[in-house]
Amino acid sequence: MEVSMNSESASASFKSRTRPRFRFRWSDQISAYLFLAPALIIFAVFAWFPIVKTVIFSFQNVSLNGTSTFVGFNNFERMLIDPAFTVAWRNSILFATLSIAMGFLIPIIVSIMVNEMRLAQGFFRLVYFLPTVIPITVTLLIWRLIYKPDNNGFLNAALALIGGHPQSWLQDPLLVRESIIVLLTWANFGSTLLIYLAALQDVPSEHYEAAEIEGANPFQRIVYITFPSLYPTMITTFILQVIAVVQIFTEPFLLTKGGPGNATLTPVLVIYNKAFLNNDFGLASAWSLSLIIILGLFSAVYLRITRRAD
Amino acid sequence: MESWNRGVISPLELRTAFGRYTYILFIVLLLILAVTVLFPFLFAFAAGLKTSTDIIKGGLQIFPQVPLWSNYSDVWTKYNFIRLFANTVAVVIGGLICQLAVTTLAAYSLARLKPIGGRIILGGFMITLMIPAIAYIVPLYTTLVNVPILNVSLLNNYWGLWLPYSINAFGILIMKTFFESIPNDLYDAAKVDGASSVRIFWSITLPLSRSILIVLTIVGFLALWKDFLLPSLVMTKPDMQPITVRLWYMLNGSTVVSPLNVQMAASFLALLPPLLIAIALQRNLQRGLNVGGVKG
Repeated sequence: MEVSMNSESASASFKSRTRPRFRFRWSDQISAYLFLAPALIIFAVFAWFPIVKTVIFSFQNVSLNGTSTFVGFNNFERMLIDPAFTVAWRNSILFATLSIAMGFLIPIIVSIMVNEMRLAQGFFRLVYFLPTVIPITVTLLIWRLIYKPDNNGFLNAALALIGGHPQSWLQDPLLVRESIIVLLTWANFGSTLLIYLAALQDVPSEHYEAAEIEGANPFQRIVYITFPSLYPTMITTFILQVIAVVQIFTEPFLLTKGGPGNATLTPVLVIYNKAFLNNDFGLASAWSLSLIIILGLFSAVYLRITRRAD
Repeated sequence: MESWNRGVISPLELRTAFGRYTYILFIVLLLILAVTVLFPFLFAFAAGLKTSTDIIKGGLQIFPQVPLWSNYSDVWTKYNFIRLFANTVAVVIGGLICQLAVTTLAAYSLARLKPIGGRIILGGFMITLMIPAIAYIVPLYTTLVNVPILNVSLLNNYWGLWLPYSINAFGILIMKTFFESIPNDLYDAAKVDGASSVRIFWSITLPLSRSILIVLTIVGFLALWKDFLLPSLVMTKPDMQPITVRLWYMLNGSTVVSPLNVQMAASFLALLPPLLIAIALQRNLQRGLNVGGVKG
């Protein structure tokens, strides 16, 4: 059987020179789909099916033993009148704003400085990247000690050295979001840094040379040449950062449980609570659907921009 | 670096006082940042050497006067740490094998075998990049509790993690692009010689893709080792939980209340494997992140 298939495919590739398109042969298609089968099955069961189920669940009163009834828009009504809806999305916006304000410029500036190094570029890349590999539970253990309130915490002890008062980093509603964003920036800026370093490799040296001859000093060169060259990368990392922050879950879940006073309650945390604490899968799915729609909008913007850049 | 593109400061300028001071300023700033970034690692290691009272007392003293190395050995005896490590390794290695198999097979088909509707299928895979798993975690969980058609529960079963971990649309995209870059002539020659699709995939395509497969493996290893939410939902039996999940339960003291210093020692040991892998394989990793960095 193999022999006949081989002669077929040999003649097919010969024929393809004369008639390249719209060839169709069952044997080829069967092997193509056999190769695809594992992915199709797994994506269907563990991604596409759950995504469709999110939509269906959101119109249902779901119970885990299998008896589900359609309740129309009831779940969405309950979601919208729940004060948590405004709180969680407002927190998302606050988190996103803070993370952009505190963390957006860091990888850009650091990448420019690292790119300047004649030696040890690899060392700096590696060091800054290392926090991204730490398991979140370990990160949490470490930072909980650093952020300990009163005089005992490391950060407060350090603050006392320069004459500051001890702060309740994770218990003060006015500080807790900033504290979490500092942790997130520490944990993640290393991977964004690598994106910028790759982008910096594409800045032609001739541009710098020309500017130098024109008499521009290094900082002018950064402002007039480096920044504009990084502009497309900045837009994509901006959107990716917002998309990532909208999904914040593990840090508030493990560190603050959404508190103090709902200051770190995020949409995904609400989904988790409604589903796994209250067993209200329908309401949780309505929340999920709103999250999918918002993330979808950002992704669409992202795709439009990256397509245009190509 | 192999192809170092010049930075802002030119070699000539570096000899002037202004250029040199700017350069030194950059080095100092980068070193300060490096110390800040590495500090929590040191902090965790040192806390694992303290007594629990010392940890709670906290303060600026990072290293204890008398290091308690016994904490690190207590981890192994008190926690059945070997079991926890074995669980994590089982989750990560199994997940990686499934992920690589599913990803390369699908990418090969899409790149080379031209299935009808391939573009639509690729689009279907890519949807999972736009909608992250966290957005459909609830129905994913109910699916794992009762897998359709088979009607089995995958809770407390390694397949309950391996199968969802096999979803890697980004890997499919990267591998597909790579497979398409392999010259057609190689495939034509193999076909003329009578090689089947499976043979071409196994003996020609995969060996040629070794470097990119290594990158996918490292990135996958790091991602699976640190995953938390899914394993915490799927693995509810303490003796099956991977290390990251188990640490969290210990921390909250729901079952075992363990001394804080041993917890710190345990958590430092838990971050060592990914840390060492990242350091040892940094070259491969950095190349890979340049390819895959846009994923964010």
